[in-house]
Amino acid sequence: MLGINITKKQEPSLWGSCFLFVGAVVLSLGISALLLWMRGKSPLDGIVLLFKGAFGSPGALEDSLVKAIPIFLCSLGVAVTFRLQIWNIGAEGQFALGAVGATWVALQFPTLPAALMLPGMVLVAMFAGGIWGLIPAVLRNWAQANEIIVTLMFNYLGILFLEYLVYGPWKDPVSFGFPMTKEFSQSAVVGMIGHTRINWGVLLCLFFGLAVWIFLRYSRLGFELKASGENVKAARYAGLPYERLVILVMIFSGATAGCAGFLEASANLNRLQPSIMVGYGYTAIVVAWLARLNPLYIGIASYLLAGLKVGVENIQLELQVPAAFGGLMEGLFLLTVLAGAFFTKYKISFRRKT
Amino acid sequence: MLLPLMAAAVQSGTPILYATIGEILTEKSGVLNLGVEGIMMVGALAGFLVAHYTGSPLLGFLAGGLFGALFAGIHGLVCLAFQGNQVVSGLALTILGTNLATYLGTPHVGHAAPGFQTLLVPYLAEIPLLGPVFFKQDLLVYISYFMPFFAWVFLRYTRWGLGLRVVGENPEAGSAAGLWVPGYRWAGIFAGGFLGGLGGGYLSLAYTHLWTNGLSAGRGWIAVALVIFAFWRPGRAVLGAYLFGGVMAFQLRLQATGTNLPSSLLLMLPYGLTVLVLVFSSWRGRGTAAPAMLGVNMEPMD
Amino acid sequence: MRKMILFLVFLLAFSMGSAGAAEKEMKVGFIYVSPIGDAGWSYAHEQARLALEAMPGVKTSYVEAVPEGADSERVMLNMARKGYDIIFATSFGYMDSMLKVAKQFPKIVFMHCSGFKRAKNMGTYFGRMYQARYLSGLVAGSMTKSKILGYVAAFPIPEVIRGINAFALGAQAVNPDVQVRVVWTKTWYDPATEKEAAKSLLDVGADVITQHQDSPGAQEAAEERGAYSIGYNSDMSKFAPKAHLTAAIWNWVPLYKKLVQEVRAGTWKSQALWPGLSEGIVGLAPFGTMVPEKVRAMVLAKKKAISAGKARVFSGPIKDQKGKVRIAAGSSASDGELLGMTWFVKGVIGTTE
Repeated sequence: MLGINITKKQEPSLWGSCFLFVGAVVLSLGISALLLWMRGKSPLDGIVLLFKGAFGSPGALEDSLVKAIPIFLCSLGVAVTFRLQIWNIGAEGQFALGAVGATWVALQFPTLPAALMLPGMVLVAMFAGGIWGLIPAVLRNWAQANEIIVTLMFNYLGILFLEYLVYGPWKDPVSFGFPMTKEFSQSAVVGMIGHTRINWGVLLCLFFGLAVWIFLRYSRLGFELKASGENVKAARYAGLPYERLVILVMIFSGATAGCAGFLEASANLNRLQPSIMVGYGYTAIVVAWLARLNPLYIGIASYLLAGLKVGVENIQLELQVPAAFGGLMEGLFLLTVLAGAFFTKYKISFRRKT
Repeated sequence: MLLPLMAAAVQSGTPILYATIGEILTEKSGVLNLGVEGIMMVGALAGFLVAHYTGSPLLGFLAGGLFGALFAGIHGLVCLAFQGNQVVSGLALTILGTNLATYLGTPHVGHAAPGFQTLLVPYLAEIPLLGPVFFKQDLLVYISYFMPFFAWVFLRYTRWGLGLRVVGENPEAGSAAGLWVPGYRWAGIFAGGFLGGLGGGYLSLAYTHLWTNGLSAGRGWIAVALVIFAFWRPGRAVLGAYLFGGVMAFQLRLQATGTNLPSSLLLMLPYGLTVLVLVFSSWRGRGTAAPAMLGVNMEPMD
Repeated sequence: MRKMILFLVFLLAFSMGSAGAAEKEMKVGFIYVSPIGDAGWSYAHEQARLALEAMPGVKTSYVEAVPEGADSERVMLNMARKGYDIIFATSFGYMDSMLKVAKQFPKIVFMHCSGFKRAKNMGTYFGRMYQARYLSGLVAGSMTKSKILGYVAAFPIPEVIRGINAFALGAQAVNPDVQVRVVWTKTWYDPATEKEAAKSLLDVGADVITQHQDSPGAQEAAEERGAYSIGYNSDMSKFAPKAHLTAAIWNWVPLYKKLVQEVRAGTWKSQALWPGLSEGIVGLAPFGTMVPEKVRAMVLAKKKAISAGKARVFSGPIKDQKGKVRIAAGSSASDGELLGMTWFVKGVIGTTE
C-alpha cells in the first residue's frame, strides 16, 4: 500500500522556482492552444503569432516596453503591499486618481514651463493616488474593513469620478462634446526618447525600482520585511507597529500607481479621457504575485505580461481571435503558478505503508 | 413608483442572493473564494448554451450551477490540494472565468435563449403591496426565496452543517474529532460554486434572455462584500441582496424621473454603499462573526 | 536567333504589362472599439467588412476591443508595417493616434470614423444616423398613447445626443406634446442594465422605448410589458416580435465598397464624408405589422423628402431644454453644429452629463 509523504521544505529552492515559472508558462500556453483549437484556429499559428507580436521585431519589443512601464509602476506598489499580506486590489482606482491629479495641474496651470509643470504633475499624481490608497488602509485599521472589498469598490468609485470630470466640468470645449479634457500644453507632455515610442517615464521606473531595491537591502525596515516569513502580522518591524506599516505601504502603492496614471495621461494620450483605463491595475496583481518583492523580477514579469497583451493583438489581427484571449492566458498563468508553487514548497516522497 | 422599484430590487438582487448564500457556505467552511464573479460568468454562459441547444431553460439553469461548481473546483484544487494562496487563487479564478466566458461566448453574442417568464402565484399575487413585489416574479426568484431558509436550517440544525462550521472555526479540533476536513471544505467550495453558477444562470436566462459579454458587471464582487455585511448569516444576506439590487435599480429610475444629477455620480451609489455597509458591519461585528480560520489553508499532514 | 530574343522580349513586356493591368490586391484593416459580437456599432462595421472580403482581390482583417490611446496607435502601426493599403478606425477616440501614424506612412490611406482631424492621406467619414432617428421618431410619435417616449442611451456624446434630439423632433412633428425621457446606462452593451433602464422608463409611463445601445435588452423589456419598441444598429424584431415597430439601422457596405474602389483606382482624396439616407448608409428596418398603413406612408414620404434634400431634420426654430432658441427660424443646423451637439431640444427630459 503506497502512502504519500508531504513534508514542508525549509526554503523554496531557486531552481525550483525557475522551473515552476517555465512549467507554468508551458502549461498555460498548452491550455490556451487547446482553447484556440476549440474555436477552430490553428494552435501552433496562434502561439507563434503571439511571440512574434510580442517580441518578434524591434517595433514589437519597443511596444512591449512602452506598455510595461505603467504595469511596472503599479506592480511595484502592489508587490510591497502583498508582502505585508495586504491585498491591495485598488491599483486601478489609484491609477485613475493619479491621472486626475496630474490633469488638474495641467489644466489649472497651462502656462507653466516644463521644468515646473512636470514635477508638479508627478507630485500631485502621487498625492492623489496616495490618498486613494490611504483611505482603505485607514478603514482597515480603524474598522477592520476587509481591504479587498474596499479597494475594489474604490476602483469603481475612482473610475466613475474620472468619468464625471471628463463628461462634466473638464470637458474639452473644442472636441465636439466628446468626453475628454483639453489637450495638454506641450510643457505637460512627457516626451519620447529619440525616435522611439518609449517615453521618458522609463526613468521613473528605474528610479522607483532602484529606490525599492535599496530600501530592501540597506534599511532595517526593508531587511526585516524581506527576511520575515509567511506570518507577517504578528511582529513589529523596525519598531513600527503593523498598523502604521499598513498605512505607509498603501500610500506608497497608491503613489506609484498614481505615477503610472500621470505617465499614461501625459505621454500617451496628452489629455485625460475614459479610455485611459485599460486594466493595468489588475495586471499588476498578477505581476506582483509572480515576482514577489524583487524589483528586477517585477521588471521582467511586467515586460512579459506587457508582451502578452501586445502579442494578443497580433493573434487578433491575423486569426480573428477575441480580445478576451489575453486575459484568459493571464488567469491561467496565475493559477498554474499558484498550483505549481506547491512543488517548490513541499517535498513529496512515497513510502510503503506497512 | 415605490412598488415597481421594490419589484425591480427583488429581481436585481436575486442573482446576488444566490451567489451570496453560496459564498457564505464556502466561507463557513474556512475557504475564501474571491472567484465568485468568474463563477457567475461561467454559470451564465453554461446555462445560456445548454438552454439554447436543448430548449429547456430549467436544464440550462441546472447546467449553470453544475458548471459553476466544476469551475469552483479549480479553486479547490489550487488551494486545498496545492496549498495555493486563497486570495490570489480567487482573483485568478475571476480573471480566468470572466475572460473564458467572453472568449467562448463571443460567437453567441446577441443570440437569445429560451428563458423563464414571469409566473404569477395565484392568490398571493393579489395581496396589496406584497403581491406585486414578491409574487409577480419568475420561477427562479421563487426558488431563491427558499434557499436562505434551507441554508440556515442546514447550518444550524444538521450534523453536516455543524461539521462545516467546525471545520471553518477550528479545523484541528475537527480533525481530531474525526471529521474529514478537506472533504467538508470541498463540499463548501462546490456548494458555493453551484449556487454562484445558478446566480449566473439567472442573469442569462431570466433577467435577460440574451448573451453578451460582461453580464455579471461586478455582482460577484458585491456578493463577496455582502457575506461580510450579512455576518455570514443567510437571513441577513437576503436583506443585503435586495438592498443592493434596489440601489442598482434606483439610480436608473432616478434618471427616468428627470433628475439633473450627473449619471456618473449616481452610478457610484451601489459601490459607495457597499463600502459604507462594509465598514459599518466590520466595525460593529469586530470581525468576530467570521469563521476563525477563514482563508488559512490547512497544512497537509502525513 | 534574333527572332527568338524579340519574341522573349515581347513575352516579357506582355506579362509585365498584364500584371500591371491586373487588379491590385488590396489589404484593408479595421479597428473596432468594442467586440463585434455585441450586435451593435462594431457589428455593423463588421458586416460591411465581410462584404468587402467577398470582393475579388480584397483581403481584410480586423482587431476588436482596442482601447483608444497608445494601444490603438500600436495596432495601427502594426497594420501599417504589414503593408495594409487602407485602415479604418471606427471610433472617435482613435483620432489623435491615427493622425500620428498617418504622418509616418504617407502611402497608406487612413479613414477615421466620426472624427474631424484630417491629413493628406487621412479622411473622415460618418453617417447621418440622425435622419433615420427622425423617421423613427415620426413612428414613435404616431404610435404612442401616453405621450411619453423612453430612450435608453449609453454615453452622453454628441452622436447620441444628436440622435435623441432628432428622435424627439420627429415625434413632436406628429405629436407636439410628446415627452422623451432619457436614462444613461454608461455602457454600450450590458443587456441586464439596459433592460433595467427600459423598465424604469416604462414605470414612469413610457409606452415606446428606443435605444442607443448595442444589445436588445431594452427591446425585451418593452416586449414583456406589452409596450412598443424601436431598435438600433440592426433589425431587432426577432427579440421583440410584438413590440418592434422599426429600427434605425446602419449600412456601411456601399460606403466601404466605394472607398476601396477609389483607393484602388487612385482617385481617393481626403475628405470629410457624411452620407446619410440618400446614399443608403442609414435607414429604417421594415415596419412591424402593428404600424398602420397611414403612418407608413407618411414616414416613407418624409424619407423620400429628406433623401432628396428637400427637407432637413434640424430646421429652425429649435429651442433647447431651457427655452433658448438654438436654431433660428428659417435656418437649419450646420454640420459643425450637429457634430458638436451637447444640448437637448425642448421636450427631452434628462441630463447631458
